[in-house]
Amino acid sequence: MKVQELMTTKIEFVDADRTVYDAVEKMVDRRIRSLMVRFPGKGLNYGIITARDIVFKVLAKGLDPKDIKVSEIASKPAICVDKNANINEVASLMENKKIARILVCDGEEIIGVIALLDLMAGTLIMRARGEHDF
Amino acid sequence: MIFEKILSLSKKEQEVTDNMREHIKLLCSACDLFRTALENNDRNLMRNLIDLERESDSIRREIISKIYEGAFLPYLRPDLCRFVEIVDHVFDVLGDTAHYCLDGKIPEQIKSECIRIAYLNIKICEMLLITFEALLKRDDLREKTLAIRIYEKKIDDIKFSLIKDIHKIPISNFWEGKILSDFISGLTNISDIVEDASDYLQIINVSMK
Repeated sequence: MKVQELMTTKIEFVDADRTVYDAVEKMVDRRIRSLMVRFPGKGLNYGIITARDIVFKVLAKGLDPKDIKVSEIASKPAICVDKNANINEVASLMENKKIARILVCDGEEIIGVIALLDLMAGTLIMRARGEHDF
Repeated sequence: MIFEKILSLSKKEQEVTDNMREHIKLLCSACDLFRTALENNDRNLMRNLIDLERESDSIRREIISKIYEGAFLPYLRPDLCRFVEIVDHVFDVLGDTAHYCLDGKIPEQIKSECIRIAYLNIKICEMLLITFEALLKRDDLREKTLAIRIYEKKIDDIKFSLIKDIHKIPISNFWEGKILSDFISGLTNISDIVEDASDYLQIINVSMK
Protein backbone atom coordinates (compact mmCIF):
# COMPACT_ATOMS: atom_id res chain seq x y z
CA MET A 1 0.00 0.00 0.00
CA LYS A 2 1.26 3.45 -0.95
CA VAL A 3 1.60 6.16 1.69
CA GLN A 4 -0.52 8.57 -0.33
CA GLU A 5 -3.56 6.39 0.32
CA LEU A 6 -3.48 7.06 4.05
CA MET A 7 -1.49 10.24 4.57
CA THR A 8 -3.04 13.32 6.12
CA THR A 9 -3.02 16.15 3.64
CA LYS A 10 -3.93 18.88 6.09
CA ILE A 11 -0.60 20.14 7.38
CA GLU A 12 -0.26 23.02 9.80
CA PHE A 13 2.89 25.13 9.80
CA VAL A 14 4.64 27.39 12.28
CA ASP A 15 7.62 29.64 11.51
CA ALA A 16 10.88 28.69 13.21
CA ASP A 17 11.25 32.11 14.86
CA ARG A 18 7.88 31.92 16.65
CA THR A 19 7.72 30.98 20.33
CA VAL A 20 6.81 27.56 21.67
CA TYR A 21 3.74 29.24 23.20
CA ASP A 22 2.53 30.16 19.68
CA ALA A 23 2.99 26.55 18.65
CA VAL A 24 1.06 25.26 21.69
CA GLU A 25 -1.76 27.68 20.94
CA LYS A 26 -2.00 26.47 17.37
CA MET A 27 -1.86 22.78 18.35
CA VAL A 28 -4.57 23.17 20.99
CA ASP A 29 -6.78 25.24 18.65
CA ARG A 30 -6.52 22.76 15.80
CA ARG A 31 -6.45 19.68 18.06
CA ILE A 32 -3.31 18.31 16.46
CA ARG A 33 -0.18 16.80 17.93
CA SER A 34 2.52 18.19 15.62
CA LEU A 35 3.37 21.16 13.45
CA MET A 36 5.71 21.54 10.52
CA VAL A 37 8.37 24.12 11.28
CA ARG A 38 9.26 26.46 8.44
CA PHE A 39 12.90 27.52 8.53
CA PRO A 40 14.14 30.41 6.41
CA GLY A 41 15.76 29.48 3.10
CA LYS A 42 14.83 27.73 -0.09
CA GLY A 43 13.91 24.12 -0.83
CA LEU A 44 12.66 21.58 1.67
CA ASN A 45 13.89 23.46 4.71
CA TYR A 46 11.51 22.08 7.28
CA GLY A 47 11.56 20.67 10.78
CA ILE A 48 8.86 19.19 12.95
CA ILE A 49 7.69 19.99 16.47
CA THR A 50 5.50 17.58 18.41
CA ALA A 51 3.51 17.73 21.64
CA ARG A 52 6.12 15.37 23.05
CA ASP A 53 8.94 17.87 22.29
CA ILE A 54 6.99 20.64 23.99
CA VAL A 55 6.12 18.65 27.10
CA PHE A 56 9.52 17.01 27.64
CA LYS A 57 11.85 19.77 26.47
CA VAL A 58 9.99 22.79 27.83
CA LEU A 59 7.06 22.24 30.19
CA ALA A 60 8.50 19.35 32.24
CA LYS A 61 11.69 21.36 32.76
CA GLY A 62 9.73 24.31 34.12
CA LEU A 63 10.78 26.57 31.23
CA ASP A 64 8.54 29.36 29.98
CA PRO A 65 7.20 28.50 26.49
CA LYS A 66 7.08 32.23 25.70
CA ASP A 67 10.86 32.47 26.12
CA ILE A 68 11.79 29.62 23.82
CA LYS A 69 11.79 29.69 20.04
CA VAL A 70 10.29 26.81 18.10
CA SER A 71 13.63 26.43 16.27
CA GLU A 72 15.36 25.55 19.57
CA ILE A 73 13.39 22.37 20.16
CA ALA A 74 12.19 21.31 16.69
CA SER A 75 13.62 18.19 15.06
CA LYS A 76 15.41 19.08 11.83
CA PRO A 77 15.55 18.14 9.06
CA ALA A 78 12.11 16.60 8.76
CA ILE A 79 12.32 13.23 7.01
CA CYS A 80 10.53 13.01 3.70
CA VAL A 81 9.38 10.06 1.60
CA ASP A 82 8.01 9.91 -1.92
CA LYS A 83 4.22 9.68 -2.27
CA ASN A 84 4.66 6.26 -3.92
CA ALA A 85 6.64 4.77 -1.02
CA ASN A 86 5.17 1.65 0.57
CA ILE A 87 4.00 1.81 4.15
CA ASN A 88 6.42 -0.95 5.18
CA GLU A 89 9.36 1.19 3.95
CA VAL A 90 8.00 4.06 6.02
CA ALA A 91 7.65 1.83 9.09
CA SER A 92 11.33 0.79 8.79
CA LEU A 93 12.37 4.41 8.41
CA MET A 94 10.39 5.41 11.50
CA GLU A 95 11.96 2.59 13.46
CA ASN A 96 15.51 3.42 12.34
CA LYS A 97 15.18 7.15 12.93
CA LYS A 98 13.01 6.71 16.03
CA ILE A 99 10.37 9.12 14.79
CA ALA A 100 6.60 8.95 14.61
CA ARG A 101 5.86 11.26 11.68
CA ILE A 102 7.23 11.50 8.17
CA LEU A 103 6.50 14.01 5.46
CA VAL A 104 5.15 12.82 2.12
CA CYS A 105 6.55 14.65 -0.89
CA ASP A 106 5.79 14.90 -4.56
CA GLY A 107 9.12 16.10 -5.92
CA GLU A 108 9.97 19.26 -3.99
CA GLU A 109 6.44 19.77 -2.76
CA ILE A 110 5.17 18.55 0.61
CA ILE A 111 1.76 16.97 0.03
CA GLY A 112 1.07 15.24 3.32
CA VAL A 113 2.27 13.71 6.52
CA ILE A 114 2.06 10.10 7.65
CA ALA A 115 2.03 9.14 11.33
CA LEU A 116 2.29 5.90 13.30
CA LEU A 117 -1.48 5.68 13.63
CA ASP A 118 -1.84 5.90 9.82
CA LEU A 119 0.59 2.98 9.49
CA MET A 120 -1.47 0.92 11.91
CA ALA A 121 -4.62 1.74 9.94
CA GLY A 122 -2.81 0.82 6.71
CA THR A 123 -1.73 -2.52 8.16
CA LEU A 124 -5.31 -3.35 9.14
CA ILE A 125 -6.56 -2.48 5.65
CA MET A 126 -3.87 -4.66 4.05
CA ARG A 127 -4.85 -7.57 6.28
CA ALA A 128 -8.49 -7.08 5.31
CA ARG A 129 -7.51 -7.10 1.62
CA GLY A 130 -5.47 -10.24 2.13
CA GLU A 131 -2.16 -8.46 1.38
CA HIS A 132 0.45 -9.18 4.01
CA ASP A 133 3.40 -6.88 3.48
CA PHE A 134 4.11 -6.70 7.21
CA MET B 1 -24.95 -25.82 10.01
CA ILE B 2 -27.76 -23.54 8.82
CA PHE B 3 -25.19 -21.19 7.35
CA GLU B 4 -23.74 -23.87 5.13
CA LYS B 5 -27.20 -24.91 4.07
CA ILE B 6 -28.08 -21.35 3.19
CA LEU B 7 -24.93 -20.79 1.22
CA SER B 8 -24.83 -24.08 -0.61
CA LEU B 9 -26.84 -22.14 -3.07
CA SER B 10 -29.67 -23.21 -5.32
CA LYS B 11 -29.74 -21.90 -8.90
CA LYS B 12 -32.01 -19.01 -7.90
CA GLU B 13 -29.81 -18.11 -4.96
CA GLN B 14 -26.70 -18.32 -7.09
CA GLU B 15 -28.31 -15.86 -9.51
CA VAL B 16 -29.08 -13.50 -6.65
CA THR B 17 -25.53 -13.57 -5.28
CA ASP B 18 -24.12 -13.13 -8.80
CA ASN B 19 -26.32 -10.10 -9.29
CA MET B 20 -25.37 -8.69 -5.89
CA ARG B 21 -21.69 -9.09 -6.82
CA GLU B 22 -22.33 -7.40 -10.15
CA HIS B 23 -24.15 -4.57 -8.34
CA ILE B 24 -21.19 -3.87 -6.02
CA LYS B 25 -18.69 -4.15 -8.90
CA LEU B 26 -20.77 -1.62 -10.81
CA LEU B 27 -20.59 0.65 -7.77
CA CYS B 28 -16.77 0.41 -7.76
CA SER B 29 -16.75 1.30 -11.47
CA ALA B 30 -19.12 4.22 -10.87
CA CYS B 31 -16.89 5.62 -8.12
CA ASP B 32 -13.85 5.21 -10.38
CA LEU B 33 -15.67 6.97 -13.21
CA PHE B 34 -16.66 9.79 -10.88
CA ARG B 35 -13.07 10.34 -9.74
CA THR B 36 -11.74 10.35 -13.32
CA ALA B 37 -14.45 12.76 -14.43
CA LEU B 38 -13.78 15.06 -11.46
CA GLU B 39 -10.02 14.99 -11.94
CA ASN B 40 -10.21 15.73 -15.68
CA ASN B 41 -13.22 18.09 -15.58
CA ASP B 42 -14.85 15.68 -18.02
CA ARG B 43 -18.52 16.58 -18.17
CA ASN B 44 -19.41 13.82 -20.64
CA LEU B 45 -17.92 11.20 -18.39
CA MET B 46 -19.79 12.70 -15.44
CA ARG B 47 -23.06 12.38 -17.40
CA ASN B 48 -22.34 8.66 -17.89
CA LEU B 49 -22.86 8.22 -14.16
CA ILE B 50 -26.55 8.88 -14.66
CA ASP B 51 -26.69 5.81 -16.97
CA LEU B 52 -24.92 3.72 -14.33
CA GLU B 53 -27.49 4.87 -11.77
CA ARG B 54 -30.26 3.54 -14.05
CA GLU B 55 -28.37 0.27 -14.51
CA SER B 56 -28.12 -0.04 -10.75
CA ASP B 57 -31.89 0.46 -10.39
CA SER B 58 -32.47 -2.32 -12.86
CA ILE B 59 -30.09 -4.72 -11.05
CA ARG B 60 -31.74 -3.85 -7.70
CA ARG B 61 -35.22 -4.64 -9.09
CA GLU B 62 -34.00 -7.93 -10.51
CA ILE B 63 -32.36 -8.99 -7.23
CA ILE B 64 -35.39 -8.10 -5.12
CA SER B 65 -37.77 -9.90 -7.49
CA LYS B 66 -35.65 -13.04 -7.42
CA ILE B 67 -35.40 -12.96 -3.64
CA TYR B 68 -39.18 -12.75 -3.26
CA GLU B 69 -39.67 -15.42 -5.91
CA GLY B 70 -38.16 -17.75 -3.35
CA ALA B 71 -34.41 -17.38 -3.12
CA PHE B 72 -33.11 -17.74 0.46
CA LEU B 73 -35.05 -18.49 3.61
CA PRO B 74 -37.83 -15.97 4.32
CA TYR B 75 -36.25 -14.62 7.51
CA LEU B 76 -33.13 -13.60 5.55
CA ARG B 77 -34.92 -11.84 2.72
CA PRO B 78 -35.61 -8.47 4.39
CA ASP B 79 -31.95 -8.06 5.40
CA LEU B 80 -30.68 -9.06 1.95
CA CYS B 81 -33.14 -6.65 0.31
CA ARG B 82 -32.16 -3.88 2.74
CA PHE B 83 -28.49 -4.41 1.85
CA VAL B 84 -29.25 -4.17 -1.86
CA GLU B 85 -31.31 -1.01 -1.28
CA ILE B 86 -28.46 0.58 0.67
CA VAL B 87 -26.01 -0.17 -2.17
CA ASP B 88 -28.51 1.33 -4.60
CA HIS B 89 -28.76 4.40 -2.36
CA VAL B 90 -25.00 4.93 -2.85
CA PHE B 91 -25.65 5.09 -6.61
CA ASP B 92 -28.39 7.68 -6.02
CA VAL B 93 -26.10 9.85 -3.91
CA LEU B 94 -23.27 9.47 -6.43
CA GLY B 95 -25.65 10.43 -9.26
CA ASP B 96 -26.88 13.50 -7.34
CA THR B 97 -23.27 14.48 -6.61
CA ALA B 98 -22.46 14.17 -10.31
CA HIS B 99 -25.42 16.49 -11.05
CA TYR B 100 -24.11 19.09 -8.58
CA CYS B 101 -20.74 18.81 -10.26
CA LEU B 102 -22.35 19.48 -13.65
CA ASP B 103 -24.42 22.38 -12.28
CA GLY B 104 -21.56 24.23 -10.63
CA LYS B 105 -17.81 24.58 -10.69
CA ILE B 106 -15.67 23.04 -7.98
CA PRO B 107 -13.37 25.76 -6.57
CA GLU B 108 -9.67 25.04 -7.17
CA GLN B 109 -8.91 25.56 -3.42
CA ILE B 110 -10.78 22.38 -2.49
CA LYS B 111 -10.47 20.33 -5.67
CA SER B 112 -7.48 18.20 -4.64
CA GLU B 113 -9.20 17.23 -1.37
CA CYS B 114 -12.40 16.36 -3.26
CA ILE B 115 -10.40 14.13 -5.65
CA ARG B 116 -8.81 12.49 -2.61
CA ILE B 117 -12.23 11.72 -1.13
CA ALA B 118 -13.37 10.38 -4.51
CA TYR B 119 -10.31 8.09 -4.51
CA LEU B 120 -11.04 6.87 -0.97
CA ASN B 121 -14.66 6.25 -2.03
CA ILE B 122 -13.35 3.79 -4.65
CA LYS B 123 -11.27 2.06 -1.99
CA ILE B 124 -14.15 1.77 0.49
CA CYS B 125 -16.41 0.30 -2.23
CA GLU B 126 -13.70 -2.21 -3.17
CA MET B 127 -13.54 -3.17 0.50
CA LEU B 128 -17.33 -3.65 0.50
CA LEU B 129 -16.91 -6.09 -2.38
CA ILE B 130 -14.17 -7.95 -0.45
CA THR B 131 -16.50 -8.09 2.58
CA PHE B 132 -19.34 -9.47 0.45
CA GLU B 133 -17.05 -12.16 -1.01
CA ALA B 134 -15.92 -13.02 2.53
CA LEU B 135 -19.56 -13.45 3.57
CA LEU B 136 -20.11 -15.89 0.72
CA LYS B 137 -16.99 -17.82 1.70
CA ARG B 138 -18.11 -17.81 5.33
CA ASP B 139 -14.97 -15.97 6.40
CA ASP B 140 -14.82 -13.73 9.43
CA LEU B 141 -15.97 -10.22 8.49
CA ARG B 142 -14.45 -8.44 11.48
CA GLU B 143 -11.23 -7.32 9.76
CA LYS B 144 -13.06 -6.26 6.61
CA THR B 145 -15.66 -4.12 8.39
CA LEU B 146 -12.90 -2.54 10.46
CA ALA B 147 -11.08 -1.54 7.25
CA ILE B 148 -14.31 0.07 6.03
CA ARG B 149 -14.60 2.01 9.28
CA ILE B 150 -10.97 3.18 8.91
CA TYR B 151 -11.68 4.54 5.43
CA GLU B 152 -14.87 6.17 6.67
CA LYS B 153 -13.01 7.88 9.52
CA LYS B 154 -10.34 9.10 7.09
CA ILE B 155 -13.00 10.63 4.84
CA ASP B 156 -14.73 12.18 7.87
CA ASP B 157 -11.47 13.87 8.88
CA ILE B 158 -11.07 15.35 5.39
CA LYS B 159 -14.74 16.42 5.45
CA PHE B 160 -14.27 18.54 8.58
CA SER B 161 -11.25 20.31 7.13
CA LEU B 162 -13.13 20.82 3.83
CA ILE B 163 -16.03 22.42 5.69
CA LYS B 164 -13.57 24.83 7.33
CA ASP B 165 -12.04 25.58 3.94
CA ILE B 166 -15.31 26.35 2.19
CA HIS B 167 -16.03 29.09 4.74
CA LYS B 168 -13.15 31.01 3.15
CA ILE B 169 -14.45 30.66 -0.41
CA PRO B 170 -16.36 33.69 -1.72
CA ILE B 171 -19.85 32.77 -2.89
CA SER B 172 -21.69 35.09 -5.28
CA ASN B 173 -25.25 33.89 -4.75
CA PHE B 174 -27.42 31.51 -2.73
CA TRP B 175 -27.60 28.79 -5.39
CA GLU B 176 -23.85 28.70 -5.95
CA GLY B 177 -23.40 28.15 -2.21
CA LYS B 178 -26.16 25.55 -2.04
CA ILE B 179 -24.77 23.54 -4.97
CA LEU B 180 -21.29 23.56 -3.45
CA SER B 181 -22.60 22.56 -0.03
CA ASP B 182 -24.75 19.76 -1.52
CA PHE B 183 -21.80 18.55 -3.60
CA ILE B 184 -19.60 18.22 -0.51
CA SER B 185 -22.39 16.56 1.49
CA GLY B 186 -22.95 14.02 -1.29
CA LEU B 187 -19.28 13.30 -1.81
CA THR B 188 -18.66 12.74 1.89
CA ASN B 189 -21.90 10.82 2.56
CA ILE B 190 -20.99 7.95 0.23
CA SER B 191 -18.62 6.42 2.79
CA ASP B 192 -21.27 6.70 5.54
CA ILE B 193 -23.74 4.75 3.41
CA VAL B 194 -21.13 2.13 2.46
CA GLU B 195 -20.42 1.73 6.17
CA ASP B 196 -24.16 1.14 6.76
CA ALA B 197 -24.11 -1.46 3.98
CA SER B 198 -21.17 -3.25 5.60
CA ASP B 199 -23.04 -3.25 8.94
CA TYR B 200 -25.88 -5.01 7.13
CA LEU B 201 -23.48 -7.65 5.81
CA GLN B 202 -22.41 -8.21 9.39
CA ILE B 203 -26.07 -8.52 10.46
CA ILE B 204 -26.71 -11.05 7.67
CA ASN B 205 -23.58 -12.92 8.70
CA VAL B 206 -24.65 -13.11 12.35
CA SER B 207 -28.25 -14.02 11.54
CA MET B 208 -27.05 -16.93 9.41
CA LYS B 209 -25.12 -18.54 12.26
